[in-house]
Amino acid sequence: MKVPVAIPGIKIGALQNQRCHPCKNKDMVKIDLPKEREQAWKEVMLKKMAEVLRKYRSLRLFMDICVKCGACADKCQFFLGSGDPKNMPVARADLFRKVYKRYFTLGGKIWGWANEAEDLTESVLQDWFTYFYQCSECRRCSVFCPYGIDTAEITMAAREVMAAAGIATKYVTEVVAKVYDTGNNLGIWAPAWKDNCSFLEEDLKDTEGLDIKFPVDAVNAEVLLVPPSADNFANTNTMIGYAKMFHAAGISWTTSTYCNEGGNFGLFLNYANMKKINNRILEAARALKVKRIYWGE
Amino acid sequence: MAAKILFIVLPYLSAGIFVLGGLYRFYVWGRTPVPLRIVTTPAPQTRVGVLWRLIGDALWFPNIFKGDKILWAAGFSFHILLWLLLLRHLRYFLYPIPGWVEDIQAMGLYAGYFIPVPLTILFARRLVSERVLYVSILGDFFSLFLLLAITISGVLLGVFFRTYLIDVKAMIQGLVHFRPQVPGVHWLFGLHFSLVMILLIYFPFSKLMHSGGLFLSPTRNQRANFQQPFVNPWDFPVAYNPMNLSAPEKYHQSLAGSKEEIRE
Repeated sequence: MKVPVAIPGIKIGALQNQRCHPCKNKDMVKIDLPKEREQAWKEVMLKKMAEVLRKYRSLRLFMDICVKCGACADKCQFFLGSGDPKNMPVARADLFRKVYKRYFTLGGKIWGWANEAEDLTESVLQDWFTYFYQCSECRRCSVFCPYGIDTAEITMAAREVMAAAGIATKYVTEVVAKVYDTGNNLGIWAPAWKDNCSFLEEDLKDTEGLDIKFPVDAVNAEVLLVPPSADNFANTNTMIGYAKMFHAAGISWTTSTYCNEGGNFGLFLNYANMKKINNRILEAARALKVKRIYWGE
Repeated sequence: MAAKILFIVLPYLSAGIFVLGGLYRFYVWGRTPVPLRIVTTPAPQTRVGVLWRLIGDALWFPNIFKGDKILWAAGFSFHILLWLLLLRHLRYFLYPIPGWVEDIQAMGLYAGYFIPVPLTILFARRLVSERVLYVSILGDFFSLFLLLAITISGVLLGVFFRTYLIDVKAMIQGLVHFRPQVPGVHWLFGLHFSLVMILLIYFPFSKLMHSGGLFLSPTRNQRANFQQPFVNPWDFPVAYNPMNLSAPEKYHQSLAGSKEEIRE
């Protein structure tokens, strides 16, 4: 296989200081998570670990069957870019696996030193926070793993476990909280969304002489369009493109001020928020009585 | 006394641990639900397609082939040779010996001569490649070491310290028919045999369970039938936090006052 990037040698700790900003209280209270890190964070995390291990076969299986063959080691862009060994998918998963072995397997309980089982300590938590947020969940490693071990599943589980104890990053929690206030990641309020749409209508008339509507919250349209909110704000040519396309095809359409975001940052946080954000699309579609949803990001 | 423990107690003990331990692992994996469709694409759309995909994964490791040719060559040849060796050993368990088991005896013999080569490559790779060395734990070296010791002792038994096979077969037949007896064999056979017993005991607690776990892996055994809904058995309804400014009821209210409506 041709490798466009030379595989770097390992540089221990190369990215250990590249940490995300911690979450803020004002966002955490809006997304049903503890305001700040729990006093008994260790117990809360272990309880949540037991729960996710019960809920996801993928996680339980991937913890057990990795043979450490190293096929994934040079496939992660975070490793290729930095050389930090903990960014190899197998080593990233090992951060979770060590704790799993210590508390949830017989071998780790009675023979921990040989299995490299590890207690859940402050420094392990620090590694979790650092390296589990240095994964983009692209799943490239699962394509090269002989058992299809998907590090994204492990990363998501680790983030879910941390979130339960009130440990998360500012960027993700802020965006999720924004969705529950404004309906989109960028925090565009309903009047601003409508205003932007009418601005685009005028713009289109002035520049190209076209009379095309950008309907917002129109009931009984054929299609609910759920674009990335940036299309209304920054990449407006794309938004104009949607409108022209619907116009040419003769399909009635609408955007919704309740749900105008195709991206779902709940994916980077936990299942409950991911579901809640996706659910908004269905709620908007039912409220507007549309027949189809066009949804892109 | 030691011989009795080795040839009578240990075989039943290790076989019991191997079977019950392995079944327990499958039970734990099997009872754990698969909440989401996470199949790695491109994926087959039919059950038969999934079966073929799993058989392919189990036999010739296409995913490793894509990424690492040396690892693939060593891993693939090791597993094929291991299959031949395991099937060859069926002649001690079956009576009368089926024709095909007799047919593969010669191949199995050569498999025994060659199997230390891929094992040594796999072992050396763990030490030479800094990436693999970083993630290797004692258990990884232990399983390779155990397999090397078993295969080398087996080859030595076949070539230099010829064992009286009638005794071996009688002993194993005794175990199979629950009439165990202690054979008078070379000490090297005792070593070979006890290492296998250790492997059987170690198996269900270790990464060697990858052999069966592969078939339960959700990224490999799901179908790409995205048109059909996927039911999450532990799904829960979502509830809005009173602090959220945008909630379904408020949206309904705002729509009621809205004039915009499309009429066909």
